[in-house]
Amino acid sequence: MKIVFKLNGKPVEIDCDPMRRLLDIVREDFCLTGTKEGCGEGECGACTVLLNGKPVTSCLVNAVQLEGAEVVTVEGVSETETGKKLIACYDKTNAVQCGFCFPGFVVSSYYYLTHDGEPNPEKIKRALSGNICRCTGYTKIFEAVMMACEMAGGQS
Amino acid sequence: MKSPIRVDSHAKLTGRTKYIDDYREDCMLEGAIFFSPVHAGKITKIVFPTRFDLSEFTIVLSGDIPGENIVPEPVCDQLFLVEQHIGYKGQPILAVAHPDRETVRQFVEEIRIEVEPYEALTETKVAMDDERNAFGNEIVIDHGAHRKVDPKWIFTRSVYYTPHQEQAYLEPQGMLARYDDQTRVMHVRGTMQCPYFVKSAVDRIMGNKIEKTIVQVSEGIGGAFGGKEDFPNIVAGLSALLSYKSGKPVKIVLDRAVDIQVTTKRHPSRTEIQSWIDPSDHSIRKLSVDFRLDAGFYQTLSPVVLARGVLHAGGCYRCDDVYIRGRLMRSNTPPNGAFRGFGAPQSLFAIESHIDDLAHRLKVDPLEFRRKNLFSEGDPMPTTQAVPEDHIHDALERLIEISDYEKKVLEFAEYNRTHHDKKGIGLSVAMHGGGYTGNGEKLMKSEVKVVIEKDATVKVYVINTEMGQGVQTTLAQCVAEELGHPLEKTFYMFPDTSKAPDSGPTVASRTIYIIGNLLRKLARDIRSEIGEAPLADYIRQHPDKFPMERHDFFEADESVDFDETTYKGTGYKDYSWAACAVEITYDPDTWTVEPLKVWSVLDIGKVINHDIAIGQVIGGVTQGIFWGLTEYFEKEGVGRMNGLTDYVLPTTLDAPDFAVEFIHTDSDIAKGLGEIPMDFPAAALRNAVLFASGKKFCEIPLIPERIFREET
Repeated sequence: MKIVFKLNGKPVEIDCDPMRRLLDIVREDFCLTGTKEGCGEGECGACTVLLNGKPVTSCLVNAVQLEGAEVVTVEGVSETETGKKLIACYDKTNAVQCGFCFPGFVVSSYYYLTHDGEPNPEKIKRALSGNICRCTGYTKIFEAVMMACEMAGGQS
Repeated sequence: MKSPIRVDSHAKLTGRTKYIDDYREDCMLEGAIFFSPVHAGKITKIVFPTRFDLSEFTIVLSGDIPGENIVPEPVCDQLFLVEQHIGYKGQPILAVAHPDRETVRQFVEEIRIEVEPYEALTETKVAMDDERNAFGNEIVIDHGAHRKVDPKWIFTRSVYYTPHQEQAYLEPQGMLARYDDQTRVMHVRGTMQCPYFVKSAVDRIMGNKIEKTIVQVSEGIGGAFGGKEDFPNIVAGLSALLSYKSGKPVKIVLDRAVDIQVTTKRHPSRTEIQSWIDPSDHSIRKLSVDFRLDAGFYQTLSPVVLARGVLHAGGCYRCDDVYIRGRLMRSNTPPNGAFRGFGAPQSLFAIESHIDDLAHRLKVDPLEFRRKNLFSEGDPMPTTQAVPEDHIHDALERLIEISDYEKKVLEFAEYNRTHHDKKGIGLSVAMHGGGYTGNGEKLMKSEVKVVIEKDATVKVYVINTEMGQGVQTTLAQCVAEELGHPLEKTFYMFPDTSKAPDSGPTVASRTIYIIGNLLRKLARDIRSEIGEAPLADYIRQHPDKFPMERHDFFEADESVDFDETTYKGTGYKDYSWAACAVEITYDPDTWTVEPLKVWSVLDIGKVINHDIAIGQVIGGVTQGIFWGLTEYFEKEGVGRMNGLTDYVLPTTLDAPDFAVEFIHTDSDIAKGLGEIPMDFPAAALRNAVLFASGKKFCEIPLIPERIFREET
C-alpha cells in the first residue's frame, strides 16, 4: 500500500506491505542505518525513533501506522541544535562504549531534554528505562544527560 | 589528567558507524542457519517446506564442505555442520541463502527433520554432579605440604553453583562473506574479537578451493564480552561456504532469539570446597577445591577456561597446603565459551563465598578474617609462584576507608535487630592474571606494526578489535604518548588480516597489558631512533626515511616458566587486584534483594585513559552484580531463554550507584583491566545477603524464587 509520511522533516512516500516494520523502512528503504536492531521485540530500545514527537521502538511500529505521521531518527536528531549539544555532552563524558545502543539513548534523552529537561537523576533514569546498554552500567550516560540538562538551564 | 575523548564516540552517537548489518553489497544474499530442534539423535531425513521454490535458495549441508568439517579450536572436536548425529539442541545442521531476509528466515523456520532420538543429558547441575560425565582430561594442582589433618582443626565443606550467563552483546552475531572467483580470494567482514581465528576457520572449511581468506572487522562491533571469541568462526565459515556455492556475497546476521539459544555462554560451574581452619589463630591450614565446568557437548576452548578457573580457585589467600582439581563435564547442550573473566568469576565466587561462610561460622567479621588470611608478597600460590606484590592488602584497606565499611557493619547490625526489613553489606577480593595463561604469551609472540607516513600521520596496525572497550583510543594513546605526537594524528587502523600482523586474539585482558605495552615499547624505540625533535621536523629533515615501518614482537620475561602438566610455575606474570563492597536492602516478605551501592578499588597499574577505565569497571561490575542477582538463563520445564524478553537485563532503574578508585597508578606497566570487574561483585552481593538474612546461599542468581525456596 502507498503511505505518505514525514521522515526527518522531509515528506516521503513508500509503497510496501502494510505490516513492514518502521525499523526496516528507515534502514533499508532510506539507508538510515543509525537506527539499530538489537532484539526485534521492543525490549532493548536500540531502534528508538520519534514517532509524532514521542519515542517508540521502531521494530514494533508497522508501515500502516505511518500515514501522515512524522518520524525522526537519530540522523534527524543529530542535525538539531539541541541534539548537537546533547551529543557533545555524551562525547565529553566518554560515555560511549560499543555504541550499538547509543543512537537509541540519544533519541530517548533528546526527548527528555526537549520535554522536561530537569537535571534530576531519578527522572532521567526513568526517561531512559526503555533503553538497554550492556557495556556501561549507565553511570556515564546519566552524567551526560545531566550535563546536557544543566547546560540547557533546567526546564526548557 | 583529563582523559582524551574517545575517537569513536561521535560517529557512534550520530549513527554513522557501520556495524555488520549496516553493510550491503550488490546482489547480496541473506543467509540463515538451521539449528537442530532436538537435543540428540540420528538424522534420517530433512524435509524442506514445499510452499517455496527451492531453486531460489542456496543450501549447504556438511557434504558441501570442500575443506574440513572441523571448527579450529584449542580442542578440535566441534563440527561446522552436523553430518548425521546430533549432540545438542542448537547444533548447526545446514545453512541457506536467499535474496530476502524474511523469506530465508521463514524457510528455515519451516524445515523439519526426522530423527531417531538418543537419550540426552540437558540439566547442567545433573551433568556436573555426576563424575561419570567428565571429559577425560583433568587438571590437578598439587604442590601443597600434604599435612596430616589435625582433629582440632575446624572442617567445613560447601558446594557452590553458578549458572550460565548470556553475554547479551547488543549487536547479534553477523558476518558478510564475498568470494571473488577471479582472484580466488574469500573476503569476510564481521563482528568479532579474533580476526585470525576467523581466518583460520574459513581456511579450514574452504580447504584448497580458495587461494586465501582476508578478514576485516566492521567499523563498529556492538559488544562481545567473550561471546564473539569463537562463535564467529561458525558464522564466518558458513557465510563463506554459501558465498562460494552461490557465487554471490552472503550476509548472515542471527536473529536475537536464535543468538541467545545457540551461541556460547559463560560455563555453569560446580565448586566443592573443603577447608580446615586452625581455631587458635583462624588461619587456613588446608584447602581442597574440586572445580567443575559444564562444557556442553564439545570441549572447544573450555580446557583454557578450566585452566584459568583452577588457577584462580585458591583466591588471594595464604595457605601452603592447597589441592585443586578441575574437570570439564559433558552435557547435550551447546558448547559454552568465553565470557569476561573466563572461569575466574566462577571459582572466585566460590572461594569468596566460602571465606564469608567460614567467618560466619567462626563468628568473626569477614573483614578481619580476610585481613588475617590474605596472602602477602612472597607467599606461595598453589602453583608455587610467589605472590609478586602486596597490593591486595592496599586495595582492601582503601576499600574499607571509602565505603565506611566498619561503621556500616555496626549500624546495619543494629538496624536489623530492630527492623523487619534488613540491610546488608558484603565484601570480596579478587585477583586476575593478565594475558594468556602460563606460557601462552611466550609461545604466541604477538607482533605489532607502526607506520609513520610522510605527512606525520602515525598508523597503528594490530589485529585486536574495538568492541567497546576503547582500544581504538587507548592503543593510539599508547603510541602517541610515547612518541610525543598528537593523538589526532595517531590512528588505530581497523583490523584487516591482509595488513595487520597477528597480535593475537582480543581476549584475556591482554590488549592493553600485552599489546599496549608492546606498542609503548616500540614507540619508545622509534623515539630513540629519531632523537628528541618533533616527529614532523624529523620527517622534513629525513624525507627519504618515510614512510617508515617498524615491527616488534612480544618477548616474555625470562622468569616466566609454567609446566602445563603439573601446573607448577608462573600462572601469570602480572596480576591485577581488586576489593569490593556491596550494600543492599533485603525484604523478607517479598524475598527481594536490592543493591544500593557498589564500591570497587582496583590496582590495574598504569591507567591509560581514566574515563575509559572507569567505564570498563562500572560496566563489568554491573554484569557481575546481575549475574549474581537476576540473570537466569534456564528455567525448569521451559528450557533456555528465548530473547531479551525472557533473559532480563538490568535497566537504568536497576543500576545501583558506583564508586570506583584505582590505586598504584604510578606503575610503569598497564595491567589487565577488562575482566577483573566481573570477578568480584557476585560474591560481595551474596555475602551482603548473608549479612542481611543470615542465609548462606550456595547458588546464584539470588532471585526471589530461590530465596523463597531456601527460606521456607
